Amino acid sequence: MITKFQVAYKNLWRKKVRSILTVIGIALSAWVLISLLGFNRGYENSLNKDIDNMGFQLMIMAKGCPYEAATLMLKGGTGLRYMDESIMKKITSEPEVDKITPILMSAVFDPNKGESGGIAAYFGVEPASFAAVKPFLKFKTGKWFTDLNAYEVVMGFEAAELEQREVGDMILMPDKNVQFKVVGILERTGTQDDGTIFVPLKTLQKIFNRPTEITTIGIKLKKGMDSTRLEDKLYQLPDVQIVSLEQVKQTIMKLISTAKIMVLSIAIIAILIAMVGVINTILTSVWERFQEIGILKTIGAMPRDIFLLIWMETLILCTMGGLLGVILALILSRVTDILIRRVLPYAPGGGLVVIDLKLVLVTMFGIIFIGLVSGIYPAWKAGRIRPLEAIRGEGGK
Amino acid sequence: MSLFNISKQLLRSVLIIFFFVLAGSTVAWGAVGCDLNDPDRDVVRLFPESTGYKTIYTSIQKKGGEKLLVTVEKRLGENFKGIYETIDVPYTIYEIFSNKKKIGYIHGVNQKGQFGGIQVFLALDLKGTIKGFYIQKMTSQYAAKLRDAKFGKQFVGLTIKDFDHYDVISGKPSGPLETIKNPAPEAEADFRSALRATKKNLILMDEFVYSTQSVLSSGEAPKR
Repeated sequence: MITKFQVAYKNLWRKKVRSILTVIGIALSAWVLISLLGFNRGYENSLNKDIDNMGFQLMIMAKGCPYEAATLMLKGGTGLRYMDESIMKKITSEPEVDKITPILMSAVFDPNKGESGGIAAYFGVEPASFAAVKPFLKFKTGKWFTDLNAYEVVMGFEAAELEQREVGDMILMPDKNVQFKVVGILERTGTQDDGTIFVPLKTLQKIFNRPTEITTIGIKLKKGMDSTRLEDKLYQLPDVQIVSLEQVKQTIMKLISTAKIMVLSIAIIAILIAMVGVINTILTSVWERFQEIGILKTIGAMPRDIFLLIWMETLILCTMGGLLGVILALILSRVTDILIRRVLPYAPGGGLVVIDLKLVLVTMFGIIFIGLVSGIYPAWKAGRIRPLEAIRGEGGK
Repeated sequence: MSLFNISKQLLRSVLIIFFFVLAGSTVAWGAVGCDLNDPDRDVVRLFPESTGYKTIYTSIQKKGGEKLLVTVEKRLGENFKGIYETIDVPYTIYEIFSNKKKIGYIHGVNQKGQFGGIQVFLALDLKGTIKGFYIQKMTSQYAAKLRDAKFGKQFVGLTIKDFDHYDVISGKPSGPLETIKNPAPEAEADFRSALRATKKNLILMDEFVYSTQSVLSSGEAPKR
């Protein structure tokens, strides 16, 4: 016995072009929707990963001190401000703090860089605490310093590449004329650490005659801890400024949300157009089969049967469209990723569009639900066809 | 919220974004190349008669692959060293023009020095003769002596032929190179590195340019 599904499928197949175009319309809407939802998740994940890669969520500097090496270079190696490392004790005791690491940024003038000289920057770090807040740092060759007072350096991948250094080579700090032995070269991280030369904190403090001073403290919070509470407390400390990477994230997310709203609006419009397309296709099909439906009713089909039959057609169109949309989204996710990167002013590393099973199911469910809602009217209309009028061919005109 | 507070917040947001972009920005993940720090200024200094230049990017991989690498190493008399002297290192060749006429080239190479990377640039005429010698970067206590114009002048007039018999392993100069004096005997390693870099530079230019002139542009000179 032929089932309702088979009848519905055959009905759709009778008007191939129209059905295929409707399926394509639904597929495009589904593609936009799934890509947008995937972007929503992927962007946040990547941003979180980028922020995690920075190792700490909060940075404390003396007021006016540059945040990092790039700014230090832009300022020509000047403008460093220092704070006493005793401040760390106060911070460590805070319940929100998981790990903490002191950093001393230093810069020297290298007259033999180019025509007019350049700046060489060094980061004084404590290997144990620094590696703890940046567990993603991996050594390409070598290891951390043998001693906290050693005249040794660990070089970021690009710093080593530029200086053509390998483990065991020597490096000279210009201006101070101090020699260091290269004991480690880090793997590429895609962060500013790649261009950094790390020196033991104590050694750098000694060279620059700042025995107890540092420029930056990196703070890693305990999981799930609210950084704003800690920030409020840290602001009580004298002459410090705080950079919260959560704040950075929020600001970026705020900027991105505008773009997301625009794309979401387009997705909603696309879905509405697809809905109208579904209604139009099914309704046209109902009008075309007006007499046929009338005959079905005369041979015993109940309004409910006709309703379900027409609804089934909607279901088939939406399921096929939804599936095609999901396939498109999966295949083209990389292209979408590239396009988004071209449009956005800042895009974090990693995949920007993340599509998983849950997202696929949610989208499919959403598309089918919207499709079924769109199919109610044509199905109801078909169910209400009067057999006599239909056979006379009156109602369909 | 006052206008002052809004602009303060905006400024803060902009600064934070700026910081984040700087801190998170990634760079091209290829081997490191050797470019002039300020080509507009440096080209005029090395070629005072120039009115413009064109920049061409190439590599051993692009120009001849493994076969070319073997040729270059053979001519150099030593295999490429370490992890930074590789087949995919990008090279920047500056084609120099005086009005519409091409008058020469500038090309730089990276070389491992005693305390850091050394960048040696050569200004060459169309026949491959050295017109200018410039160490753009060198980390050494004696770098000033080796970067001095007097040291560079000793290379003017030399060609690849003069370096043919220079043994980069022993570092012992021969022929015309014997006249090149090391201004800083304490920095003998860096002096030898500069000579090796010059030989490598000339070989690469010979392979990239002088043996395949037609490959490079010969069209109109660009305007500065």
